[in-house]
Amino acid sequence: MDIKDLKVLIKMVTETDITEFEMDNSDEKVVIRRGPKTEYVAVAAPAPQAYAAPQQQAPSAVAAPAAAPAAEAPAETGETVNSPIVGTFYRAPAPDAAPYAEVGQVVEKGQVLCIVEAMKLMNEIEAEYRCKIVKICKENAQPVEFGDALFIVEKL
Amino acid sequence: MHQKAAVILRFFRQQSGFVSGEQLSRELGISRTAVWKHISALRGAGYRVEAVPSRGYRLLSSPDTLAAEEISVQLNSGLIGTRLVNLATTTSTNFEAFRLAEEGAGEGTVVTAEEQSKGKGRLGRIWSSPPGANLYCSVILRPRIKPFEAPQLTFLSAVATARAIEQTTGLKPEIKWPNDVLIDGKKVAGLLNEMSAETDGINDGINFVILGIGVNLNMTADQFPGDLRHPATSLLIEGGAKISRARFTAFLLNELDRLYAGFLDHGFVQVRREWQERCNANGREVVVSNHGRDDIRGLFAGIDGDGALLLRHPDGTIERILSGDVRVL
Repeated sequence: MDIKDLKVLIKMVTETDITEFEMDNSDEKVVIRRGPKTEYVAVAAPAPQAYAAPQQQAPSAVAAPAAAPAAEAPAETGETVNSPIVGTFYRAPAPDAAPYAEVGQVVEKGQVLCIVEAMKLMNEIEAEYRCKIVKICKENAQPVEFGDALFIVEKL
Repeated sequence: MHQKAAVILRFFRQQSGFVSGEQLSRELGISRTAVWKHISALRGAGYRVEAVPSRGYRLLSSPDTLAAEEISVQLNSGLIGTRLVNLATTTSTNFEAFRLAEEGAGEGTVVTAEEQSKGKGRLGRIWSSPPGANLYCSVILRPRIKPFEAPQLTFLSAVATARAIEQTTGLKPEIKWPNDVLIDGKKVAGLLNEMSAETDGINDGINFVILGIGVNLNMTADQFPGDLRHPATSLLIEGGAKISRARFTAFLLNELDRLYAGFLDHGFVQVRREWQERCNANGREVVVSNHGRDDIRGLFAGIDGDGALLLRHPDGTIERILSGDVRVL
């Protein structure tokens, strides 16, 4: 399965009330789970040579997390910055503006990390302490749930 | 404004008709010459005061200002507007209110401005704010609710604005999700709220919420910028009569005060009901667009307990929308 198919699949699933979707064949396994706290996609693909069709290349397994914006990353360690409200996550104050924070950046206590908007209530999320951004867990303009991790940070 | 001048204004408003210089002198405990000096100062501030020998003074008209004295005489609120801060010019009243709130300004503080140099819209958009024409105001609230409940406040200011428009003009405004106020499909008011909250997971709570309210009152057609995203209008254009900005502001703050008291006592239910009655999309097909995402089309099915827009798809499923621009088809 290539990225395009995977995208279509995710879209199909997220547009319904299905909370868990699993597809398993001899070549690959796709699991999509949705819920109030987590929304992630896991793709397990066998070695590249297992693919029958020539256009199905190994990168599908590598690229899958990119097509799954909310991919969980349990390997990342550190503190999380969670969303206090249900809303839409924005990395910048305006569509054409530079993001508030980038991975690897050191931010000071009180510095704005992102905006979460719900019903035109703009909530600027600030760093509670001086920290380094390890991971940005959500894509720009993506919906987030109450309590979702927005950033993984390393307390400095 | 001098405190004594403000008291004189109050006498003018309580007694429609002439107020004798002798009475003012007695009530204020100042000489009649001092009374005359305050009357002169009022005239200098734009008040038209008639003086007739042996009868006294009479207020003919007040300047169209957002001065605290002008708003407060028409306020009957318990909380909202207990402190009124009117600025000649500012970047944005939301910005100024946010700053005051961070410094500890109390709940109910209202910041107004005659003009904004950087009036804020959603996602970095500009709210056109020419001087002296409209209402630009921001209200500081400190509700003891959870941060995730705060978006409900968006609907309070929308309903309050719609009520104030109805009361001052007789026009019939509609509300577009979540809180644009429209007349005949054209935008007359825009509302943008901001929150400061503790979200460390231990002491989750709201520090304050700023309700930003911009209403086009006396703006003329030539004052609108040419590159508007949506058709816009003003109460002057729609109703054909100039609006007293102070009177409108007082009506708005009075309504907001009532709605907020009701919200704290009884929750979101009542506000939600009135909002839905005033909504422009009931039973209609709408398109929701949001930056960075595909447009979503469906049937408007009301709002839920959080205020999220409920969109019904052809297959019957309901999708919750939390942000975006809604267009009725």
